[in-house]
Order: sequence, then C-alpha cells, then structure tokens
Amino acid sequence: MVVDVVGFLPHATIHLPGPFRYLWLQPICCANSPPRMSPEQILFWVFAVATVFSALGVVVLKNPIASAMSLVATFFFLAGIYVLLWAHTVAALQVLVYAGAIMVLFLFVIMLLSINDVGPAVQLSFSRLLGAVATAALLAALVLAFRKLPTSDLAWANDPARLASFGSIKEVGAIMYTQWLFPFEAVSLLLLVAIVGAVVVAKSRI
Amino acid sequence: MRLRWNVIIGSLTIIPGLLFGGVATGYLLGGLADKHLFVGAHHLVNVVLLLLVFVMVIATALTLAERKWSAMMQNRIGPNRARLPFLENSALSGVPHVITDVLKLLTKEAFIPKDASKLLFNLAPMLAFAPVFALFAIVPAGPTVNVFGFDIEMVAANPDFGLLYLFGIASLAVYGTSLAGWSSNNKFALLGGVRASSQMISYEVALGLGLVGMMIAFSTVQLGGPAGMSDLQSHYLPGWSTYLGPIDVGVPQWGFLLQPAGFILFFAAAFAETKRAPFDVPEGESEIIGYFVEYSGMQFGLFMIAEFVEVVVLSGVLIAIFFGGPYLPFGNLWLKSLFGPDWQWLYGSILGTVFWLKVVLLCYLQLAIRWTFPRFRYDQIQTLGWKILLPIGLANVFISGALILWDPSLKALAIAGGIEILVLVALTLTPTPAKSRADAHIGHHGPVDEHGHGADHALPAGHH
Repeated sequence: MVVDVVGFLPHATIHLPGPFRYLWLQPICCANSPPRMSPEQILFWVFAVATVFSALGVVVLKNPIASAMSLVATFFFLAGIYVLLWAHTVAALQVLVYAGAIMVLFLFVIMLLSINDVGPAVQLSFSRLLGAVATAALLAALVLAFRKLPTSDLAWANDPARLASFGSIKEVGAIMYTQWLFPFEAVSLLLLVAIVGAVVVAKSRI
Repeated sequence: MRLRWNVIIGSLTIIPGLLFGGVATGYLLGGLADKHLFVGAHHLVNVVLLLLVFVMVIATALTLAERKWSAMMQNRIGPNRARLPFLENSALSGVPHVITDVLKLLTKEAFIPKDASKLLFNLAPMLAFAPVFALFAIVPAGPTVNVFGFDIEMVAANPDFGLLYLFGIASLAVYGTSLAGWSSNNKFALLGGVRASSQMISYEVALGLGLVGMMIAFSTVQLGGPAGMSDLQSHYLPGWSTYLGPIDVGVPQWGFLLQPAGFILFFAAAFAETKRAPFDVPEGESEIIGYFVEYSGMQFGLFMIAEFVEVVVLSGVLIAIFFGGPYLPFGNLWLKSLFGPDWQWLYGSILGTVFWLKVVLLCYLQLAIRWTFPRFRYDQIQTLGWKILLPIGLANVFISGALILWDPSLKALAIAGGIEILVLVALTLTPTPAKSRADAHIGHHGPVDEHGHGADHALPAGHH
C-alpha cells in the first residue's frame, strides 16, 4: 500500500507492525528483483538505533543536564517510530507532553538544584539487585508479548477507508473519549492527586 | 514632521509588489514541480520559499525596522551611517545596515568561556532557533488553487494534528534559552535562563487555553486544507451574507470576531513566549544582560534572529487562526470568479499577498507594543499569567463551549464576541479617573508640581 505519511513523503510503503519479519529485507517490487529494504524499514532502523543509543546516553552520561537532553532525544526518536507505526497523533502527543512539558520541568529542576557535583548516587546493592530483577522481568514480558503477536496481516490491513482514518486525531480522540473514557478520567484524577500532594508537601516546608 | 512622499509611495508599491512576485513564483514553481517531479512536490518548493525566503527575509528586515522604529519612538533618526558603493549620498533609509550587521556578526570571534560545557554551549543557539523556525511549516500562506492541473497548497506540511504540532514545537524553544543560561558557566546567564524558562512554562498554559475556543468552534485542530481553520474563515456566518452587485459581503467567521477573548489570551501569552518587552525579564538589559550574555558572533546572532523569526511566525499563526488567513473579509467569491480556470494562480497570488501584508501589519503592531510598554516586574508577569490569563481562559472555554452547544451555527458565539469587542473598546476609551492618574504621577515622578506632565519629558537639546 502506498501511503502519504505526513503530507509530503512520497511513496512510503508502510506495513502494519507484525513480528520481526517486516524489519528486514523483503521483496518490495517485483517477483524477479532481489529483496530490498523499503524506505520505512530504513527509517525504522535509523530511529531504532538512535533510540537505543540516546537511551544509553541517559544512563551513561555523567552530567545530569546532558543525561536529560539525551532523554529528550530518545523521546524524539521514539516519536519517529510511532509515526512509522501509523500513530502520528501519538507521536505529536509524545513530543508535546514528554519533550515539551515534562522534560522542560526536569531540566528546570536540575538547573535550580544544580546537582552537577553529586557523585554516583546509588550505592545500595539491594536496590541494584531489585533493578536487575525488574529489568529481567520487563525483558521477559516483552519477549512473551512479541511471541503472541499475530503473524498475519490484520484483517483490515487492505481496507483503504479504515487505513485512511487509522491513527488520525479524530479516531484517537473518539476512542479515548468513548471506549476508554473511564481510564482516561482516572489517570487525570491521579495527576490531580499528585499535584495536590506536591502543593501540600511544599506548603509544610515553606 | 515632513512627509517624504517618495519613501511612502515607494514602500506602498515596492512591498506589495515584492510579496506578490514571491507568492506568484511560489504557485508557478509549485505547479511546475508537481507536473515534472511528482505529485506533492510543491510542498518542497513551499519549504524553501515560505520558510527560507519569506520568513527569513521579513525577519531580517525586522532587525532594521526595530532599530528604526525605536529611533522614531525616542525621537532619534536611527541607523543612517552605512552606505552602499556609488550611492554614498543616500542613506537608503538605513537598509545597508542590514548588510553591515550580518557582516559584523559573521566575522566576530565565536568565544567560548572557560569551564563552559562546550557541546551544550554550541547546541543552545541551534535549539533556540530551530523550533521557532519550524513552527511556520503548518501555517497556510495562501489558498489552495489549481495550477497546471495540480492542486497547489501554499503550506509546507498539513498534518491533521496541526495545533498539537504548534504547541509541541513551540514548547521546545525553552531548551535553547535554559541550556544557554546553564552551559555558559555564568551566574547572570543562569539567572536569565531560569527566568526565561519559568516565564515560558507559565505562559504555555494560557497559550493553549486561548486556542481551545477556536478548536471547539471549528471542531478541528488543522490549519490548512479545505477543512482547516484558515479556509473555514473564508465562509460567512450562515444567513448573514448577501450580494452587493457582483460582490459578496457578509459577516465572515473570522476567529477575531468569534473569539476576541481567545485572541487576546493567545496574543498576550505568545508575546510572553517571544521574550520581548514588556515581557523581557529574561534579557533584563539593565541588570543581568540575559541568558545569552556569554555568546558572541553568529551564535548571539542566532538568538537575536530567532526572536525576530518568532515575531514573524507569531504573526502568521495569529492571522491563520484569528484574522481569516489569506482571505479578505468580503468579496472572496467575487475575486475568484474574476479569473478563469487557467488563471487561478493569479487569484491565489493576490490572496497570498494579502496574507503577507497582514503579517507585516501584525509585525508592525508587535514592534509598536515592544517600544511602548515598560517592562513588567517579575511578580507581575507571574500574576498576569496564573491569576488573570488562566481564569479568563478557563471561563472563555466554558462560555464558548456552551454557546456553540446552544447554537452550532456560531451566530450566538459571534454575538457574544461582538459584545466582548464593544466592552473592550469602551474600556479603552474610558478616561482614567483623575485620582488614579494623580497616584500614578506621584508614584513615578514625586509630588505633582505646577509644571504638570510636559515639563519633565522635554528632550535634552541636540538629542536626535
């Protein structure tokens, strides 16, 4: 299928996310030609490698500001992968909320506290052990999830009407405010509680 | 003051002429690109033409306009020393100063202070400039017309999440200022950076709320395209239009008429985001110089030009959302019918010129505000953002939402908007009560003396 991604990327063929078979060489043109990488496969690898490296930078870099900026870069590359997954609205929200709002506040707090002289923060071996266990559990969950993914295309993969609206802001909004209204409101209540809690804690210190 | 008619008539013909030529080039090149490259190639032409040519040239011209306008406000002549070769007898209204400014910035040493974080120090000016510049990508600068058989949109990109892109990218500009302040290893720069980021974070809330009313009214967040905010504003309110001879007239659905409160909120908040007076605490020339105090050469130049680009982009966004985009308040249908199917690019170019003229007028308004108002104190900025703009924005969202729910044809909203405009005009025209005027006088100049106001504002002799 030929899809106009953001408006001016021409002829970007996009396959819906299946397991790994979509990520490498495959016949994209004719029966006789050797399998090649489609533009969005190339873009996927660009974004994927950049995401992993900038995420490593968050952990490895000594300077907290550099770490934070690395996390911003990670969010941007993740947004790129969202676009490849036909979730361009989610990509815009990712940049708006994480890169534009949350990380700005992170940076602001780091600058105000100027914690650039603090050495290695975590020395407790117990918390490190816990972190290792949590990481292993997450990895296991991801592997299991990948094994459960359908190996065939989704039923509506060739339905042009469905594809045209998939991931658009109207469709995402409609689902979010009908089917998932309760979780959405519950999350916003959670955020409100967090804000009120922060104000209460800060008030007692002043 | 002597009216220099040659300058006035010259600017009134040269500026629209240049704009018209640029827009017409855009349409024709876009049509050729679509015809000979691939369908949709005109967006690439638009990236070059709208962003690199129009926005950058107007922003560069604004550096001179700002100096000239400040000179006019302060009863000086302004820059007039630089001359072009063979034209040594004419100052050309200071235009050669644009060249000398750029040459100066480009040839200066790019100095990096000791112990500064080198990577972030070099990254900050780019992060300050790039997001502001990229904002213009979604602003439609002309109608969609058919050229050589292809529909040419005068917009670089037209995603369906238009305004989310606007908010997302606009909020990234904070990184440039805060990183510049932090990485300079200078306490004044850090203060400026912290001031800038706190101000920009505070005003982003009002920035978003100001546009929610328009999103509800047009039930879209898209700017360009046939269902986008810009094109929807070319329609009249249903039933409120008629024909005067061949010309269609009526009440257009301009955002300014539907949402005056939203316009004022968005304008004030966006003005705070540009960090220009009266919101220039982050720069604070008289005390801390600002977050760019350690920058020199073109790195400082990037911060400076980012500010002017932001002025142009803000004007473009305001016009696309609140002032009818490229469209005239009346007569659009008539204008379109004047040109045959092969000459639609002329219709598009005329309306594109109208768009850029509106941009230039709004840039002028921003310069006038910047040189008229004194700087707000820091607590006043936070009070305005959180205690005045935020409640007004919330109230505006609820009232507008209720009016649109009650009358989906937007007429009730237009009537409410008209009342708001009348109240604003009445408030502006109401003379300040004598008592508070006297208070202000005592506050600024000490006790009232018999000379009154005029005496202490007299300019020193020989000052120009």
